[in-house]
Amino acid sequence: MTAATQAPPAPTVVDRVRSVRVASWATAALLVVAVVAAIALQPNLLTPYGVASTFATFLPLVLVAVAQAIVVIGGGLDLSAGAIVALSSVVAVQVMRGEDGLAAVGLAAAVGTGVACGMLNGLVVSRLRLQPLIATFASASIFSGLALLVLPTPGGTVPAILTGTFRQAIATVPMSVLLVVAVALGWLVLRRTRVLRHIRATGGDPAAAYASLVPVQTSQFASYVLSGAISGLAGLAVLGNAGSGDPFIGGDLALGSVAAVVVGGIALRGGIGSPIGAIAGAIILALSSTILFSIGLPTSWRALAAGVVVILALALSALGAPRRRR
Amino acid sequence: MTVTSPLVRLSGVHKRYGGVQALRDASLTAAGGEVHGLLGPNGSGKSTLGKVLAGSVRPDAAEIVLAGESVRIGSPRAAARLGVAAVYQQLSLVPDLSVGQNLVLGSEPGRLGFLSDRAAARRVAPVLERLTPALGDVRFDDAVRDLAPGQQQLVEIGKALLREPRVLILDEATASLHRDQVALVFDIVRELREGGAAILFVSHRLDEITELCDRATILRSGVTVAETSVPDTTPDEIVRLMVGDVQQVEREHRDAAGGPVRLRVRGLAGGALHGVDLDARGGEIVGLGGLQGQGQSELLLALFGAIAAAGDVEVDGEPVRLASPRSAARRGIALVPGDRGTQGTLPARPIQENLAIASIAGRARVGVLSTRREREAAQSMVDALAIKIGSLADPISSLSGGNAQKVVFGKWLLTEPSVVLLDDPTKGVDVGAKAEIYRIVRGLAEQGATVVINSSEDRELVTVCDRVLVLFEGAVRATLVGDEITEERLVQAALRIGEGTQGAATGEDAA
Repeated sequence: MTAATQAPPAPTVVDRVRSVRVASWATAALLVVAVVAAIALQPNLLTPYGVASTFATFLPLVLVAVAQAIVVIGGGLDLSAGAIVALSSVVAVQVMRGEDGLAAVGLAAAVGTGVACGMLNGLVVSRLRLQPLIATFASASIFSGLALLVLPTPGGTVPAILTGTFRQAIATVPMSVLLVVAVALGWLVLRRTRVLRHIRATGGDPAAAYASLVPVQTSQFASYVLSGAISGLAGLAVLGNAGSGDPFIGGDLALGSVAAVVVGGIALRGGIGSPIGAIAGAIILALSSTILFSIGLPTSWRALAAGVVVILALALSALGAPRRRR
Repeated sequence: MTVTSPLVRLSGVHKRYGGVQALRDASLTAAGGEVHGLLGPNGSGKSTLGKVLAGSVRPDAAEIVLAGESVRIGSPRAAARLGVAAVYQQLSLVPDLSVGQNLVLGSEPGRLGFLSDRAAARRVAPVLERLTPALGDVRFDDAVRDLAPGQQQLVEIGKALLREPRVLILDEATASLHRDQVALVFDIVRELREGGAAILFVSHRLDEITELCDRATILRSGVTVAETSVPDTTPDEIVRLMVGDVQQVEREHRDAAGGPVRLRVRGLAGGALHGVDLDARGGEIVGLGGLQGQGQSELLLALFGAIAAAGDVEVDGEPVRLASPRSAARRGIALVPGDRGTQGTLPARPIQENLAIASIAGRARVGVLSTRREREAAQSMVDALAIKIGSLADPISSLSGGNAQKVVFGKWLLTEPSVVLLDDPTKGVDVGAKAEIYRIVRGLAEQGATVVINSSEDRELVTVCDRVLVLFEGAVRATLVGDEITEERLVQAALRIGEGTQGAATGEDAA
């Protein structure tokens, strides 16, 4: 904002388009860099076992990133996503009691728990109109507290069928890879629904959406419920991966999912982007922690490094995104 | 035109926004097969009345009869169910969605919650095709954000047409269109009229009103004052109806000051401004008139460095860098905003602090504030402006609108400004406080300051200004001096200035 600049062009329509393109380029480039670096540092990543176990560790973050992406595209934010994962996973563990026969019940319990949490978030944000940042920060505390009530210490047994599934492969493609692909395909189905279109419109411009007869409050609510359901699935993925329940599991997931969304080229202001980008973002972040591990960064530095990565990602997106007028 | 029973009847419409009574017992009757103009000067409530019918403004009281049935319209969705659609200058498009997605937004075709792009394309095709002569080659999948403003406005109109409304409200919907685009919209409106719909047409272009409208309802200060047949009424008569037989406002202006030019502006452009020139002398009160939203506020904000703009600005011959409010204040420029809540005050902080904050630098010694000197300065303003307060320690939110606004004045007077910019300074202020604020403004000028004032009330400009610049589409298009400044002349200048210049501004926006 200086007098020296020429008369500023009207709301930089062109710039905004460009920023989107740059962002998706940047996401793709980062993904390539991360994959190459990770493989260079850890050649055994490329073995079938390496691929399977790496993707297994990706899966929870990938799911939570998609969940977060839906809320962010709808103009919100869900800081409780990690706590929802923790709560759904411990509920599922307690319900299944390690029995294969109860796996389906566990699935329903995990998703149901996620939906219930999402409904709470959605009600608070869309009806009480509280700031999503504060509202979900607070609800995260509630969900974490509930998780501790359900399973006070790490433990419990996950049915073998669940942990086993993660180790299987179909036509030599590891199950964990197939599951990540399935998540992406699931999104391609979901985005053709009316509710997702309305969520996107609400995030893009709530006033315009309202004037266009979009049920704005319902769409906001739906974004949190959908997100909760997917976070519930992530809870199950965590169990399959870890083999036991842990009420503290979700700690880094919320921040990680926000970072994945940003790295994946989804504007935090809402309306723009696709969860496919968030999946890429999640993989980039997961690989970068693999990289940090393999260059021998002490565990005590891990949290610090992760925070720096998130801030860098946010800074990059802020540079790319033109300021919105009005 | 066939005579039919009224399709739309609004009566007893009341709406109050805070301290402002936007509508007082307004009414409107329009028949099917009629284009009905809605006219009135700035702030007369014409847009509000339209929005009541469109469901986007909830009235305090209103009786709405549609096709003989009494209805309640509580939301845009309710209005749509009743066949009422509205198009505003403020678009309701989602820029991140495509043209087609926007056109069907809120009524997407599909099955079991899944959308059908093919059905949407089928539904949209006739409307897109109808608009093509003006819209150009715009496809279903094009992103709305890539369209020029005029094209976006047409898509917005298409969205309303898609709903096949029996009542269509066009509120300044042609403002960003080129002449040929307007012609197409008029054709479409006439087709709708033939089809028996009622079209409510709000425009600030008098020539459009006379070209298109069959009848018109004229509002003044929130009251319906006349209903007239447009072809049987001359434009001058329409202007007279809008202004009314006002008693001559008591003007407080004096002969134009003969002092040197204090504020000199050349070619100020950016955002809504398209090259503003202005010279104002010390002791002079210059008003900014014209229709609302023609760049008046933006001009003041740009001079204050609060929004980006480029151009040459000098105060007392010294160039001003339009970088920030701080650099403007250093050159002696002060801005009193109309929106006290968000721009002018720190609501929860004490009155003393609010009065002192802009002039802290002048009183502090090596960065340390002296509470005693601050209190003295604040008290001096409370006395000088007769601000009614309990204690200097009370929060500013404890004051009435008029007194809070006086605090904002006092804050800037303490900086001893040489140029004072006033952006609608008496908005939501009661009559008594208004008179006192006018006295303060006059006092400022008498002390040699240059005052530039934007007002949403023509009456205010008539009362206080020595000179009024009439703005249109971001540039000064006419100047009224001394006794030329009357409400009638202001309205006339504002309305007729646009004739023949249609599309002048959009050409640049489209680039």
